[in-house]
Amino acid sequence: MSAVSAALGGGGSRGASSLLTWRALTILTTAVAVLGPLSLIVYQSFLTAPFFDARKTAGFGAYAFVFADEDFWKALRNSVIIAGGMTLIAVPLGAILAFVMERTDLPFKRWFEPLILVPSFVSPMVLSFGFVVSAGPVGFYTVWAQDLFGVAPWGLYSIAAMTVIAGLTHVPNVYVYASAALKSLGSDVEEAARSAGASPFRVAISVSLPLILPSMLFAAVLVFFLGFELFGLPLVLGDPEGILVLSTYLYKLTNKLGTPSYHLMAAVAVCIVAITFPLVLLQRKLLQGARKYATIKGKAGRMRELPLGKWTGLALAILGLYLFVTVIVPLSGIALRAFVTNWGFGVNLSEAFTLDSFRFVFQEPTHTRAIWNTILIGTVGGALTVACYTAIGFATHRRDDGWSRFVDYLVLVPRAIPGLLAGLAFLWVFLFVPFLQPLRTTIFSMWIAYTVVWLAYGMRLISSSLMQVAPELEEAARSVGASRGTISRKITLPLIRPGLIASWLLVFMIFEREYSTGVYLLAPGTEVIGAQLVSLWQGGAIDIVAALSLINIVLVGAGLAVALRLGVKLRD
Amino acid sequence: MAELTVENLHLTYGTNQILKGVSLTLNQGEVVSLLGPSGSGKTTLLRAVAGLEAPHQGSIKLRDRTIFDGAAGLDVPAEARNLGLVFQSYALWPHKTVFDNVAFGLKLRKVPADEIATRVKKALGELSLGHLAERFPHQLSGGQQQRVAIARALVYNPPVILMDEPLSNLDAKLREEARAWLRDLIVTMKLSALVVTHDQSESMAMSDRILLLNNGVIEQQGTPQQMYAEPQTLFTADFMGSNNRLAGQVSELQGDAALLTGEGWQLRGRAKPSAKMGAAGTGLIRLERVRVADGPGDNRVQPELKTSMFLGDKWEHVFNLGATMLRAHGPRALSPGKHWVELPREDFWIF
Repeated sequence: MSAVSAALGGGGSRGASSLLTWRALTILTTAVAVLGPLSLIVYQSFLTAPFFDARKTAGFGAYAFVFADEDFWKALRNSVIIAGGMTLIAVPLGAILAFVMERTDLPFKRWFEPLILVPSFVSPMVLSFGFVVSAGPVGFYTVWAQDLFGVAPWGLYSIAAMTVIAGLTHVPNVYVYASAALKSLGSDVEEAARSAGASPFRVAISVSLPLILPSMLFAAVLVFFLGFELFGLPLVLGDPEGILVLSTYLYKLTNKLGTPSYHLMAAVAVCIVAITFPLVLLQRKLLQGARKYATIKGKAGRMRELPLGKWTGLALAILGLYLFVTVIVPLSGIALRAFVTNWGFGVNLSEAFTLDSFRFVFQEPTHTRAIWNTILIGTVGGALTVACYTAIGFATHRRDDGWSRFVDYLVLVPRAIPGLLAGLAFLWVFLFVPFLQPLRTTIFSMWIAYTVVWLAYGMRLISSSLMQVAPELEEAARSVGASRGTISRKITLPLIRPGLIASWLLVFMIFEREYSTGVYLLAPGTEVIGAQLVSLWQGGAIDIVAALSLINIVLVGAGLAVALRLGVKLRD
Repeated sequence: MAELTVENLHLTYGTNQILKGVSLTLNQGEVVSLLGPSGSGKTTLLRAVAGLEAPHQGSIKLRDRTIFDGAAGLDVPAEARNLGLVFQSYALWPHKTVFDNVAFGLKLRKVPADEIATRVKKALGELSLGHLAERFPHQLSGGQQQRVAIARALVYNPPVILMDEPLSNLDAKLREEARAWLRDLIVTMKLSALVVTHDQSESMAMSDRILLLNNGVIEQQGTPQQMYAEPQTLFTADFMGSNNRLAGQVSELQGDAALLTGEGWQLRGRAKPSAKMGAAGTGLIRLERVRVADGPGDNRVQPELKTSMFLGDKWEHVFNLGATMLRAHGPRALSPGKHWVELPREDFWIF
């Protein structure tokens, strides 16, 4: 009897301990991948020279230099202005679009939703470039407007223009949160207000808005800190007038002294994280606050849509204008630019038509490699990334202990690190750690950086899939005698498979779009389109940039088409 | 005087017909319940009256004010109908206190602030919620939330109060108390109420009249006693109580007397309009009308006892009559084996 129970107990604890190691291994690997590069940045920022320099000493010299630099303060000021301004634009517009799409009888809604989300799937580098070729001093739309009206009353290279464009392109970030909040808000509380005598407008003001306010606040903080991470936009639109923001200031530091000024870059990086990380923590707090308003849900009511009536025209006009400015103008500009030799006043489109840019792209090995690598990192890399995220998800699934809380916070860390910094940090890791050096020139270095940068985003996808599995299904498996590991493999994993495939598609699109993470990791062998664009843009190769941008859009579009075909929800 | 008149209401979702011509009247001071299985359209009907669903044909009138008329294209929006609606989920606004929840309807009606305060206090007092005015909904128990939802719907004196499964979110024990309390409240406050429920005993206990909906049409309507004792259709008979159903063939039919023949048994009973001579028929008898007898006699059968269950105040016996299950109540346990069971003629309905 006692022998039997001892044997059973022994078996049980052996299973648990092997699982414990598996779990600990996953969590530790994640911790190393996330905290390693970050601590390297912090360490570097307290040195007086690059970490590989023999003359380095510890000290605050890097900070002293940066804080004494007038440009740093200008860049910081610009970042604050742009981040604040874009929040003021994106939040109301995103909320209005969400309300119109979720609650009214606007026609063609089904077609509008993917379009509204397009700016969040196209690389900001590509979008910014699109604005230049469309609305820049000699852009297509500028030239057309000059021809038609004699004037084109806009200038692209100013802080105001950058703020507006950043605001418009971040509307999807607000839209997804506002519409999710409106969706989860039971329609019964709104109907109760209507039958108590409130007009639709009054319902929106007195009931819907106060109830989605926590989510709006959350989205506002999100957009604000994304403002500090802007890189492609200020690089493309700020550069001609010498307008710097924090990230471009960091990027330009290398040229400033002529020598690798890693310690200065690290100091700036720490400053950026010092701004973004508190915002990420604030966001987390707001999210917890948002759950306070959960109510008993009645039957999922088929809500009668609010008739827009005479307002239909206005709503369509706002939506149409938004889509025209944010989606059609930049993307059509790129599509046109890729097929012409040059463009300016007096140039005829049909005469300038050419396929030379594409011919050049497909003849040049670095470009073909960039295309191939971009596809590879999205498909194979994306699958591996989802596998990693899933492993981390399982390590914390339905466990509320210290480890899980640690992972919760760990996952937040990369959120606060802009891709540019993460790429820089990984570059240092690959230079610093001897056994990693051979991997430096392989696409693996790019992949691991991408995976860490998008950890928070991916984990949200995975954990929302995991949370949808009813706990009873797992408990039932447990009660018939399955161990935790068996449950994960035989019950939970098959159940979340559709969610994983959806995550893979979304990660594919994100990886196709990514550009800033690769900027510092770009080397022969690691080319990806996004980072290649940044470097080509610096070199002024407009034709090639246009052609590669178009190819990039097509890749993202392909992912989007498959996702829509499979009915993948484009947001959680 | 009819407070509410619904005539020939039709409503569809896509190609799915939910209401197929429903008519009803609700008189002053009356409680009418809409009863039916899920999917019968009862909640949709209530929501259409409230203005939350869009019918495409028919009319709805409050006294002589038309609030919906499909032919005339008239559809008064929900907020202008001035009806009180109590949701199944209560739908209390989580960001407003109990006081503000109840006061909202008065604020919208531009009632002066001091009058709002008195009226809300009075409404809360009547529902014994006076001490909870400053609480938020999530700080209340289910029963308290339900009473706030009712106070909120009553405070502006709507001519008709609509309730969607008002008791279904309460615990079973609380539900029976609440149903007596709710009936008493409606009667003493002289309200006219339309109540949706899927529970037949709840509807019988609470209402003056019952409308039984089946598949988008009214199957039968009447007082609870009529509905229970004089069902016109098999559906109504079956829905209104706990029953035994016996399938057989109508082998004799004279006036309202018929004979139903099954496998190894013959029973006489009252023929309902749908019974046809020589056709297949269904015999139905309420559980409490079946009597265990001590010997052979009129309209008796001799089934085998399968099991007896103790229910506290009585026993429930389950017999096998051929392949059919026959259930009966009795005061004491029975010994295993065959027993004589009587199905009185006047209580055995043949459809």
